[in-house]
Amino acid sequence: MPAEAVAIALTVGPGLSLVGTPAGASAKSSTTPSERRGKAEQTQSRMNDAELIRESQRGNHAAFEELVHQYDGAVLRLAYHMTRSEQDAQDIYQEAFLKAYRNIGNFRFECSFYTWIYRIVTNLCLDHLRKRQVRKEDSGVITDSEGESFDMLDQVADVRSGASPEKDLMRRELGSRIAKALERLTPRERMVFEMKHYQGLKLRTIGEILNTTEETAKNTLFRGTQKLRAALKDAR
Amino acid sequence: MNCDWVRENITLYLYGELADDARHELEQHVARCQDCATELAEQRQFQTQMSALPVEEPSASFLAASRMRLQEALEQTSPHRAWYQKLAFDPAAWLRQVRFSPALAMAIFMVGFGGGLGAMYQSMRGRAVPPAQENVSEAAISGITSIEKDPTTNTVKVQVDRVTPDSVQGSVSDPKVQDLLLYAAKSNDNAGVRLNSVDALSSKTDDLKVRETLTYALRYDSNPGVRLHSLEGLSPFVKEDIRVRNAVLETLLNDSNLGVRSGALHALEPVKTDSSVRMALQQLAKEDPSEYIRTESKRLLASMPTVY
Repeated sequence: MPAEAVAIALTVGPGLSLVGTPAGASAKSSTTPSERRGKAEQTQSRMNDAELIRESQRGNHAAFEELVHQYDGAVLRLAYHMTRSEQDAQDIYQEAFLKAYRNIGNFRFECSFYTWIYRIVTNLCLDHLRKRQVRKEDSGVITDSEGESFDMLDQVADVRSGASPEKDLMRRELGSRIAKALERLTPRERMVFEMKHYQGLKLRTIGEILNTTEETAKNTLFRGTQKLRAALKDAR
Repeated sequence: MNCDWVRENITLYLYGELADDARHELEQHVARCQDCATELAEQRQFQTQMSALPVEEPSASFLAASRMRLQEALEQTSPHRAWYQKLAFDPAAWLRQVRFSPALAMAIFMVGFGGGLGAMYQSMRGRAVPPAQENVSEAAISGITSIEKDPTTNTVKVQVDRVTPDSVQGSVSDPKVQDLLLYAAKSNDNAGVRLNSVDALSSKTDDLKVRETLTYALRYDSNPGVRLHSLEGLSPFVKEDIRVRNAVLETLLNDSNLGVRSGALHALEPVKTDSSVRMALQQLAKEDPSEYIRTESKRLLASMPTVY
């Protein structure tokens, strides 16, 4: 873990920005175009993180809940996009925060809470992907992932109700091909691609989360991207 | 800088991960080299293409349900404490140890007994007894045993178990009563109590908190009766509240009980032209195992104006 403290600000979805920082850090941050909260509020949230962690370490249940509420939307979105199943996403969410709660006493402010909770979540997602790959190899069939991805894409079609039915259909087909191509990546490639492309994290943060170097994260992203491009070459 | 380097770094360039000088050099190279320009265009197209699998915000009800589940688990979990925290005096842990020490236990009992006698003596001398705590905080509730609604006066009586059983009576609009009803709807072991609670709350569905609780019950309650009654309470909102509509739609597709599914199907009738509902109906009309659901879905689809 690098000794200097760096605040991480990133867009995690339309209109929501998350910020985390180690305690007492003189932090620099980059803002995102679609942030809902103002800058003043972000600074407040950074200060609050350290306080909330300390309070949680003293056994303050409400402080931990407050901490959960700052991060759980992003955690749930990541888990849902990775698993494409509400049940699995909720299981990962639940286990991640329970783990964080049980181990909050060991949190030493060596990294931001943001990195820490993402590390827990990505480890759980990686476990989930590995288990799913084993299940698929055992049964030789794609389990219900196809059905789940279909459900999710149905909702997309609904949101963009202005689009024509043919476009909706094509979009759904493409979405389902992408989902299958993503499933063929190794769990680590899938995780790096997810965090970079879909969640917009910096490669340096991804390296920290996965306990590896930025260089390794870059190489993994490159390999994953090449595989995906090859798999989707004729899908345009 | 050669073409190999450019190709390896185009991905990083598009994700804004290249250093400023490298980015400048890459742009210069691409302006001169047609092959690399094509590669850049293809990579850009690939990135746009990948957004056909969009990242969705979890719905408010999904997030709320996840939070509730987590909260329940957190209440039964204790964090591991660091070594320096273990040095701090913890009266609860101390008492747990003392439990096994008969002499100390006896001493504590005697002090308690003596104190109790003293307090009784004081109160018999006419000192004012503090008023009973009015607000029933969630932490103090050990259970809710019954809920009775008086149809004539529109009041609800909620029987609450605290250390000793208690009861609170008032209108459903009373925040105190409402909090207890919301609590009972979510966390009571007795399905009958949950059912009555859902029923009582059904008259207050214009309140967002109430609607959220009913949505939670519709999705997760183990009892089909409770789910059905939640559905009835939520039905008027399928049109205006997208979260309610999603929950009802999910119930229609996934609920294990045919009665609840039929209820969901009818509840969705006012929004049958909604594209997600229409798509679900088409799917059900084609392949649902229940003949009733298939027929009803077909009927609804047939009564709908063609949109294509």
